[in-house]
Amino acid sequence: MRWGAAVVLAALVAFPFVVPDATYEHTVMLLAFLVAIQAISWNIISGFAGYISLGHSVFLGIGAYTAGILSVEWDVNPLVLAPLSGVVAVVVALFVGSVVLRAKGPAFVIITIAMLLSFQVLAVNLPAVTNGSDGITLELPTWGRDVGNIPFYFMFLGLMVLAFGFSAWIRRTKFGTGLVAIREDEGKAAAIGIPTTLYKSLAYAASAFFVGVAGAVYAYFLTFLNPLGAFNILSSVTIVLAALVGGKGTLWGPVVGAFVVSFAGEAATVYGGGSQSRLLVFGLALVVIVLFLPDGLLPAVRRLFAKRHEVEHTDHTAARRPVTIVTRAPAEPRTDPLLEVRNARKAFGGLTAVDGVSLTVPTGSVTALIGPNGSGKTTLFNLVTGTGGAHTGEIRFDGERIDGLAPWARAHRGIGRTFQLTRLFKGMTVLENVVAPLAAFSPAVLASGAVTGHEADRARELLDLVGLGRFGAEPAGSLSYGQQKLVELAQVMVLQPRLVLLDEPAGGVHPDLVDRITGIVRAGAEQGITFLVVEHDIPLVLDLCDPVFVLDRGKVIASGPPGAIREDPAVLGAYLGEVSG
Amino acid sequence: MTQAVQTVALGVLIGGVYALMAAGLTLVFGIMGIVNVAQGAFLVLVAMLTWKAWQVTGIDPILLALATTPLMFGVGWVLYRLVVVRVRASSPAMSMLLTFGIALTIEGLLNVTAGNYFRSATPPYFAQSFTIGSVVLPKAQVYGFLAALLVLGLLYLVLNRTWTGRAIRATAQNPSGAALVGISASTVAALSFAIGAATAGTGGSILAVLYPFFPASHYDWIAKLLGIIVLGGMGSLRGAWVGALILGLAETITATYGSPRWSTVVFYAVILLVLIVRPHGLFGTRLREDAVA
Amino acid sequence: MRERSVRLRLRALVACAALLVSAGCGGGGQAGGGGGPILIGTSLPLTGQFSQPGGEARRGYEIWRDRVNAAGGLLGRQVDLRVTDDASNQDTIIADYTKLITQDKVDLLLGSFSSLLNYAASAVAERNQMLFVEPAGAAPNMFTRGFKMLFFAQPATAPHHADGVTEWVKSLPEAQRPRTAAFITQDDPFTRPVIESLQRQLEAAGLRTVHSTVYPANTTNFQPIVSAAVAESPDLFAQGAQFEDGIGAVRALRQVGFSPKVFFQTNAPGNGNQYSDGVGKDATEGVLYSTSWSEAAKTPVNAEFAQEYRKRFNGPPTEDAADAFAAGQVLQEAVTKVGRIDQVALADWLRANEVPTILGPLRWAANGEPQSSYMVAQWQNGKVEVVSPKPAATTDRIVFPKPAWP
Repeated sequence: MRWGAAVVLAALVAFPFVVPDATYEHTVMLLAFLVAIQAISWNIISGFAGYISLGHSVFLGIGAYTAGILSVEWDVNPLVLAPLSGVVAVVVALFVGSVVLRAKGPAFVIITIAMLLSFQVLAVNLPAVTNGSDGITLELPTWGRDVGNIPFYFMFLGLMVLAFGFSAWIRRTKFGTGLVAIREDEGKAAAIGIPTTLYKSLAYAASAFFVGVAGAVYAYFLTFLNPLGAFNILSSVTIVLAALVGGKGTLWGPVVGAFVVSFAGEAATVYGGGSQSRLLVFGLALVVIVLFLPDGLLPAVRRLFAKRHEVEHTDHTAARRPVTIVTRAPAEPRTDPLLEVRNARKAFGGLTAVDGVSLTVPTGSVTALIGPNGSGKTTLFNLVTGTGGAHTGEIRFDGERIDGLAPWARAHRGIGRTFQLTRLFKGMTVLENVVAPLAAFSPAVLASGAVTGHEADRARELLDLVGLGRFGAEPAGSLSYGQQKLVELAQVMVLQPRLVLLDEPAGGVHPDLVDRITGIVRAGAEQGITFLVVEHDIPLVLDLCDPVFVLDRGKVIASGPPGAIREDPAVLGAYLGEVSG
Repeated sequence: MTQAVQTVALGVLIGGVYALMAAGLTLVFGIMGIVNVAQGAFLVLVAMLTWKAWQVTGIDPILLALATTPLMFGVGWVLYRLVVVRVRASSPAMSMLLTFGIALTIEGLLNVTAGNYFRSATPPYFAQSFTIGSVVLPKAQVYGFLAALLVLGLLYLVLNRTWTGRAIRATAQNPSGAALVGISASTVAALSFAIGAATAGTGGSILAVLYPFFPASHYDWIAKLLGIIVLGGMGSLRGAWVGALILGLAETITATYGSPRWSTVVFYAVILLVLIVRPHGLFGTRLREDAVA
Repeated sequence: MRERSVRLRLRALVACAALLVSAGCGGGGQAGGGGGPILIGTSLPLTGQFSQPGGEARRGYEIWRDRVNAAGGLLGRQVDLRVTDDASNQDTIIADYTKLITQDKVDLLLGSFSSLLNYAASAVAERNQMLFVEPAGAAPNMFTRGFKMLFFAQPATAPHHADGVTEWVKSLPEAQRPRTAAFITQDDPFTRPVIESLQRQLEAAGLRTVHSTVYPANTTNFQPIVSAAVAESPDLFAQGAQFEDGIGAVRALRQVGFSPKVFFQTNAPGNGNQYSDGVGKDATEGVLYSTSWSEAAKTPVNAEFAQEYRKRFNGPPTEDAADAFAAGQVLQEAVTKVGRIDQVALADWLRANEVPTILGPLRWAANGEPQSSYMVAQWQNGKVEVVSPKPAATTDRIVFPKPAWP
């Protein structure tokens, strides 16, 4: 890969020297570089993190206007201001991102468009700064005629290489893995300790920088700026189209796509003869690509060539190794509860899912939470992990009140969870899944390698522990359901948790794997990890857990040791009522 | 005082028309989670068809909604069954890109067939007004408002008084539950997409009289409509009403008392403020996300 | 899998190289070269936002080319016109003109439509020392960049567009003169300077401005704007209107039932039937506008141009097509008089001489800014009449005051 890229790069660098007077070709190429710079950058927020920005050329406009305004104001060459343009774009992205990134999915897309239009309106309506709709005219480039656009060619080429290197570096860091985790499942990402809000803001800022820098060069290239051209929705769509064509989320996709789209556009200009159908073709291309090539060219080509291989779905015979689990605090006998829920209440519209629940989970225990479907167990889990939204009542963890904390902050304090239906990041490998969690966060984490030696070793150990050591390189989505549950368990263990919430660990799992799971729970408990288990397999619960809490219609109707629960008429009533009702 | 009454009256009249146009968009989002970016292009397409029909036959453009509304219902149905259904399982962003592609295609088609010219239908009443005291209400605006009101009322009745409507609302609130009681999710989705397109049928015919339009006008319209439903809360019909009224009033009030050049900025500023306080818009609700058990 | 993407990448490069080579081979005529045709290149917005004027400009250029060729060509050589489409996009127009100059090696250039595109295009021409005669691009900033090769083939820049209206107002007897004026304009690089300049001129002539406002380009809702503007019943109402906003404002005026004594709009009323259909034919009576061209104007060759246009395109000729035709005339005159294709010599000649066109005689300042004046036209009895300047005028009568809306 590297070798091939080096050849291409060498060819691109050599091109203007070989044919120095091909100004037109240089111009076409440099405009393709410009699209590539934007598509590569767009890919960081929209490809890696999955937040599609339909107004990304706003940063090109911001960069261009920054350079345009200040170069006139300070009487300097716009190129000198290029780094500053990048910084301004980043600042705007951070500011806007703090508002915009609260919105998810479609709302985010809409707001990115609105932002583009807002900046256009601002550029028109602040004539004192931007010269309004008349636009800003810049000096012509100072170099001689014979050089043509070659300096711009190399500037954009250089920026493209830098942007690509930046994007590739991000993808290799823990930050990059975190972004992919956010794309795959944002709630889950937060639950395994990834500070999603911060990550998204940083990704948005990162995706703005090189576009902003390129904007300054672009301003000098155009020699003229105006609101309509600088903040243009079709340019934004071109970026998205380029990334989609190549393959969004992939490293090379945006680059390849940018060249395909730019050259196709230029070919349409040269050979299309100015037919009115250009827009029609553009629209149909978008429709066809979304429908039939949603992953883009590169992944499609890869799939075509990739060998079909089957994943072995049974691994029940793996050696049972003595289970050892690393904990963050040495187990010491304690009497005060690790988790305390006091009078928690959560309603969805008219439905009160959790209705004044109080319960305590003793330190070092394996506590069970049982109850009929819809009795509020999972909702209660969500409240404890912080993904359930606003509620009343108090939640204390190790004596500290945590109900105001973000999900990842709770994860950093040592709360881990698994999900009723497993929520692995299906696009990542098993190993990447297991190294994704963050037991703690510091800025240094961002830049550290995604799969470093130490962490990878530890992740492999944990995979061995759950008996899946051989599957590290497989895509997580290719595993069986039970195996996915085990991977999720290993994922939680990476957090070095003190409390693990298990949501139906045995549900839908092969009986042999159930044994494996209970074995891990017991071993963990011996090491001092506390468990809170939601499970429908009552015999399993009564065998494994003590104490047991029974929920029905959002209320605790019984609690105590398993023996007492077995005999409790209210519990029987709740379950029988469910059966007969 | 008269000017204030006049301003508010105009704002409400225009808000009612915006509400109709936004209703289809928010309905489709509420039920299918798809933002139909092509709604603006539907409007312009219908406006063009209305204009042509009015030119040829001389029938009143707003009355032509009786034909364009069912026509767009059919177009929506077919478009859903043939195209949109394929992205139901994809991410919302992909479905937005798809509908954006549809919008560009419609714009391209109009460019090729009708040319890049401004048009507007001018029935005899287009330059006349009702005068109440010293308040002037343009007839076209009033008729457009009444037509919008009528269709919104019908929509309300359909959603609340018919089995189909209840099925649609049930699907919006709890898709798996609706499936359990025998509602076909794909039929409901096709229906709601068709109804969304049908509102653009009425809206487009009204547009043909109220405003000059050309193929690329759809960007302006979709920007307005998206703003309205983000402000009101995506998926909420009530939110679409309120958002539309706020936009109508923001436009007329800033144009009268401030400068019209700031009306867009004012509206976006309102949206941003609302989103900071209420990330889900004025009437947006969070459904129970964990309701799988 | 990694190797495969290398291969793909290589294939992309090969494809790109192939494209470049084929594009290179496709490049046509060489410069100079005795008896071959003279290649004239232009890039026009045939698609996208500005496709309406772009398409009209193409018609104007083509009529001009055929007229020149029918009369034996330029310097005895046939004219070959190469039109490319810039899709109303700044990036594309730069690539287009770069291609025309460096690869197709055209002998001469003609400009594009709208200031926004000509800003970028004229810079390419200037850097390559190619004469750039543009049929549009009246924004005053075009001429503050010290360009030597840029010439605007219309009578004047935007701030002088409505000079004729001021002259006419001043010529009215003191008692009849309008006393108050309202100004609204689209925020557009062309219309805004026209209206701002008109407002200054009329204020200097003693009129009182009772209202002035700028509205955004995508405004559709004109009731509040017009209501606010007519609150003080201005005698003169002037609007900087492109097209749809001009229609919208007239409708709103009719709806609020206010008819000013003098009603002036920029571009919109120049759109012939489109305008009268939009506002209602009987509502056009007395509407004043300033224009670079009118079909009725008695300028040389104008009648032939109009006739040819009607014959070919089966409709009334447009101002945009006429402007393009005039740009061709400017180029033709310069080449014929200089007698050879020498870009700098052509530019020098244009700076020193006056060129008769269908827009009337044009002449330029050193920076390429034209120094003539626009015509004032008025809708009378459902037709456009030129009312000034005298040589081009088709009638002596000016409808004043404007009758009430029907």
